Amino acid sequence: MQTIVQVRNLSKRYQLRKSRNTHPTLREALMGSLKWPWARVSDSNGSKTDTLWALRDVNFEVAPGEIVGIIGPNGAGKSTLLKILSRITKPSEGEVDIYGRVGSLLEIGTGFHPDLTGRENIFLNAAILGMKRAETTHKFDEIVDFSEVERFLDIPVKFYSSGMYLRLAFAVAVHLEPDVLILDEVLAVGDASFQKKCYEKMRQVHSEGRTVFFVSHNLQAIKQLCNRVFVVNGGRLTEGADMHATLAQYGAESPPNKNFQTPTIGTNSDDKGLTVPTPLGAG
Amino acid sequence: MLPESSYSSSILPKEPLIKIRPSRPWSFIDLRDVWAHRELFFFLVWRDVKVRYKQTLLGALWVILQPLLMTLIFMVFLGMLVRVPTPGMPYPVFLYAALLPWTFFSNAVASSSFSLVASASMITKVYFPRVLIPAAMVAVRLSDFLIAFVILAGLLVYYHIHPTWALLVLPLLVAHLTILAITIGLLLSSINVKYRDVGTMIPVMLQLWMFVSPIVYPSILVPPRWKIVYELNPLAGIIENFRACLFGLPFNRSGLMISALITLTLLIYSAHVFRRMEDEFADVI
Repeated sequence: MQTIVQVRNLSKRYQLRKSRNTHPTLREALMGSLKWPWARVSDSNGSKTDTLWALRDVNFEVAPGEIVGIIGPNGAGKSTLLKILSRITKPSEGEVDIYGRVGSLLEIGTGFHPDLTGRENIFLNAAILGMKRAETTHKFDEIVDFSEVERFLDIPVKFYSSGMYLRLAFAVAVHLEPDVLILDEVLAVGDASFQKKCYEKMRQVHSEGRTVFFVSHNLQAIKQLCNRVFVVNGGRLTEGADMHATLAQYGAESPPNKNFQTPTIGTNSDDKGLTVPTPLGAG
Repeated sequence: MLPESSYSSSILPKEPLIKIRPSRPWSFIDLRDVWAHRELFFFLVWRDVKVRYKQTLLGALWVILQPLLMTLIFMVFLGMLVRVPTPGMPYPVFLYAALLPWTFFSNAVASSSFSLVASASMITKVYFPRVLIPAAMVAVRLSDFLIAFVILAGLLVYYHIHPTWALLVLPLLVAHLTILAITIGLLLSSINVKYRDVGTMIPVMLQLWMFVSPIVYPSILVPPRWKIVYELNPLAGIIENFRACLFGLPFNRSGLMISALITLTLLIYSAHVFRRMEDEFADVI
């Protein structure tokens, strides 16, 4: 099997400060370095710290063309994993090798400037995601077409709705044509028809041999789209032998999330109180 | 389920394109990576310039007004009341010739120092070489400088000051000043991510810096025995020679050499500090 993403013994450690200030002051740091001149400034804040392993010894390999769904409860380490794969933060231990270009969409509208028009923001966002200007010009019509916002192209995006933001951002990201596309739970904002369009686009991305990492709480979507599923919990990553069994088990263990949309339940803001049976029985 | 991918996997590179490793304390800023993102740099500059002119009523006029108003204030207080001596040219043009590069420098340092914190949403969501953010802010201010330079040209014509060949050195001094601004911007912006109180110190620091540099007075007023200490301020050599270029005065070569050496040393240091803190930006911002 050929590998496009290889992750070996990946760990990420966070130091949790037990101080009320989230940001240490310079005075604290300077006082700290006076007290312990040999300690590094950044470690000598003088307040107690606690270690949190957001990821612990994660290993996997992914082949070109695979669509990997990543599921797990909030705070399990899913976003940390995506952030490391997107090079936003560095791992504490371990290695990742990626044999291709990475495009990631961890939040909609990142790098969009509210005072610039949709047209200007397409170019800006494409540049931030690593697209060359010539490529963007070449794909411009396709991006606009996909996003369906051509009517509003020349007004500042601060007047856009969040759905329109999403459309524009997602359209830019998928037209990047990265070898590895990383999507955090961004599609939740879109309406049903746009979500459907996005899923179709992801299938196309897959058929072109490109790899997708896709975090979602929508198990139905994962079941339909992905050919592998990783469960992240407490910083550990596991993959069951059978994807459908894993999904069914996960669905049964954890109560449905508010993003978990099914025709029977609809959305409910209170995700703890729900004890509806999981609609994954058919899987 | 998905159909099998119809992908011929022979085009994958042998070596990984991206290697993600834990941060090492002694790595330098990856200049190849910066170069690969050069388009983003121009987009960031373009964005800030565009937004500024979209939002502000006076637009380009502000850029000219700032050094001009400062010139006016110092002209009244130091030129007319205190009567600061100048080496042979009218005080207004003497003043503007230094306030122009100073305005560029101080605005560049101030805006780049806050730039990383202001771009927190980008830093936590997209990868790109972070150094582009403070560098782009300096470039935006450089464009302001070029606009405000037109006024200087007007003043030189008005006061019948004829350019000499020394004017050709001016672009080098501007480059030197830009590098110094980037140096200080890198240092302060990265420290500001972790220690927010640096931000409150910056205006005070800049004000002090202005008065220990030969901006509103000529450097001949500095007693000779203090000259060495005075020139340890890298800005001193730049501003003094900036005037020398414009007015055809003798160059202060030693001052410029000291300034260049200090700038270079500081640049290496700031790049190191920036690089080391860069890996944690997304975690602490």
